[in-house]
Amino acid sequence: MNWRIVAVGAVIIVPFVAVLASGFGKDPREVPSVLEGHPAPDFALETAEGGQVISLKDLRGHPVVLNFYASWCVPCAQEHPWLVKISKIYQPRGVTFLGVIYNDEVPKVKGFLRRYGQNYPTLQDPSSATAIDYGVAGVPETYIIDGQGQIVRKFVGPVSPEEFESTLEALL
Amino acid sequence: MISILGRTAILVALAACMVGAVAGLYGGARRSADAARWARAMAWTFFGATLVGVGLMEFALLTHDFSVHYVAEVGSRSSPTWITVVSLWSSLSGSILFWAFILGAYAAAQAWYTRKRYPEHSSYAMGMTLVVGVFFSFLVAGDANPFTPVSPVPLDGPGPNPLLQNHMLMVVHPPMLYLGYVGMTVPFAMGAAALLAGRITPAWSRALRNAMLVPWGFLTLGIILGGWWSYDVLGWGGYWAWDPVENASFLPWLTSTAFLHSAMLMERKDQLKGWTLTLLMGSFLLTILGTFMTRSGVFNSVHSFTQSPIGPIFLTFLALVLTFSVLLLAARIDKLSPPRDGLNGPASRDTAIMAQNLLFAAFTFTVLLGTTWPLINEAISGEKISVGGPYFNKWGVPLSFMLVFLMGVGPALPWGRASLDAVVKRFLVPLGIAVLVVAGCAAMGWTKPWPLAVFGVSAFAAVITLQEMAAPGLARWRKKGGNLATALVQASLRTRRRQAGYVVHLGVVLVAIGVAGSSGWRNVEQLTLRPGETGKAGRYSLTYVEHRTDKDSHRSSELARIHVATDDADLGFLEPRMNTYPRMGSPLPAPAVRSVPGEDLYLSIVKIDTKTGLLSFQAVIQPLVWWIWFGGLVMALGAALAAWPSRRRSTARLAHAKPDTAGVAASVKAST
Repeated sequence: MNWRIVAVGAVIIVPFVAVLASGFGKDPREVPSVLEGHPAPDFALETAEGGQVISLKDLRGHPVVLNFYASWCVPCAQEHPWLVKISKIYQPRGVTFLGVIYNDEVPKVKGFLRRYGQNYPTLQDPSSATAIDYGVAGVPETYIIDGQGQIVRKFVGPVSPEEFESTLEALL
Repeated sequence: MISILGRTAILVALAACMVGAVAGLYGGARRSADAARWARAMAWTFFGATLVGVGLMEFALLTHDFSVHYVAEVGSRSSPTWITVVSLWSSLSGSILFWAFILGAYAAAQAWYTRKRYPEHSSYAMGMTLVVGVFFSFLVAGDANPFTPVSPVPLDGPGPNPLLQNHMLMVVHPPMLYLGYVGMTVPFAMGAAALLAGRITPAWSRALRNAMLVPWGFLTLGIILGGWWSYDVLGWGGYWAWDPVENASFLPWLTSTAFLHSAMLMERKDQLKGWTLTLLMGSFLLTILGTFMTRSGVFNSVHSFTQSPIGPIFLTFLALVLTFSVLLLAARIDKLSPPRDGLNGPASRDTAIMAQNLLFAAFTFTVLLGTTWPLINEAISGEKISVGGPYFNKWGVPLSFMLVFLMGVGPALPWGRASLDAVVKRFLVPLGIAVLVVAGCAAMGWTKPWPLAVFGVSAFAAVITLQEMAAPGLARWRKKGGNLATALVQASLRTRRRQAGYVVHLGVVLVAIGVAGSSGWRNVEQLTLRPGETGKAGRYSLTYVEHRTDKDSHRSSELARIHVATDDADLGFLEPRMNTYPRMGSPLPAPAVRSVPGEDLYLSIVKIDTKTGLLSFQAVIQPLVWWIWFGGLVMALGAALAAWPSRRRSTARLAHAKPDTAGVAASVKAST
């Protein structure tokens, strides 16, 4: 056995594999949102059912959860049932949940909601203006906004349940 | 039904690999011809089973059987047939199945090729290939199983990623890369076999080098086609961006190119064995690293498949193969015979190859460091950063320059030792021509230092390469007289392997010229025009004639019809488009390119207002881009020429059977 080679190999392998492993569970696309800690861009959007317009300004005083999603997006379908469930717990405690359609058609979204559940309004964003204001890079993306209209937390991809709950608990 | 059949096929493949791996390694250790035969039979079974698996998946895709998980994920009734066929490699689990199939094909080829040769090594090598096969069939059978049934069965699927639907090159670029990546398994297994056997014969060195030439050629082609695809699809007018996944394909290319050269020293002089085998194993490891990069979701890249559970499995495999390779090298390297003829003069081909190997190693390290630096930095300081083109160019350009220079110098130097006088004399003519080329370019107003230097060094390398190619023919013609052309052709056929190497070198020269020219004199113009208006971009007048909308089953496109003319010629129409796919929100540009050897005109729509017809677009004018694609083709052609099996090689079998022990010779007889 040539121990020099073993030693050199170990010096290379261990840190290298450790560094690669450190990347798991993090999203390389997730650059800290410049919006965190800043006022949430206002919007006034019509609900998917039509007729009603919801504006962020009117929701002052209560935390808001804003979830951008689409029916064609697989991770959205995966997280949606959980969001519906958790909204049943937090809505009575004063949190407003809102979905925002991202690049999708209303009939398809309605089918999506029939399939994966519905407990809060979904808003239409036909020209993606709101998505652009929030800097949405892909769906799902979820924003938690506090009662003063500040963005407290942004989730890229499906939300992590523990962080989501702890952020909301801190606001209530 | 297909789910069950597919799963069965994969399980058969897995079982065949397991049995074959054990049989091969046992056959190598015990020198058992029977076990070796079993290993070969299992390789064929592995191939058959994966062929059935891929066939079933294609059938499911074409019949829109959405009860199969993978079809539900990437299939769509509205996709054209060719897109449906290539959907096999458009997403994670299908591509792993395709991967296993290619590995099966390589294993079968290896079994066929070594069935009567190299008794000392072939069984070990077969076993090692099938060990890798175990891993991939395990992946397909487990975490990346594309055959999982879906319930309830959806009526239609979303179709594959629009970026992949946007261009015909999607049909060829991934398979070429896979053929390159997966093919590295065979030389890796053969190198491991040399170490396991504790012996490396010249015949086995030569077989190793040939086994590497095949995947090397495919990898080269895959990389060039990837550049071409990105140029034709992504709409930014570039072909290389030092994206992590591009780097991932470039890294094994660097190490395997270094290997192809140091293997010559190993074959001829028994030198650099440890280093050469390290390069070989490194190349395979880098292909696994590349696959990990694409599929783990750890790196940020246009190519990344989404976050997937197979990242940790791949990393475990990578760590295992790394550890195995290091331990194997450490345990056996001292057993290999000491180098013979250790004397290499300073001005010899041997020294040039060693210098070239050092440069390639430095290049590999530079690219690897830059690619993993965001991860390293985040692990240490917690900060997110990205490493971009400037870093890679800063190191890559001078390194490439020196490599092209050595590519010129090396072949002109003799093996062993040379007198300095003769060397200086040898380089006078090529150096003179290089100086003339540089002076000529400068006189025409092309004065940027780096591209100019690359033109000069390319001319230098090209002249030497052409001289070396002609040398055997000229010698024959001088001696025997007759027709010069016949003499050149006949002499070339006799020295095919060497000539093929020079063809590859000429290809490299063409690519170097193309890269230097296109990056040195890139001109980008932004234009906004109303229908009927004309704008200027460089020497071109661009008249925006009209816009129209095309609707297809799987997409809709906005086209702008643009008439192109120069002062003295009418160059016809170009029609750049914007394609909109239902699955993707923002539209994808499909540029239109006029590509001629001298210069490319590349038009890419930025925005088109469908009501008023107001059009914003980019015109990118780059010289010599065409040379890159052509050079890549020449390189692949050279590799094919070199790897083509020759009749004469079968005599190697007899030549190397002699020094073997009597027992092995007997087993040769038994197995033939």
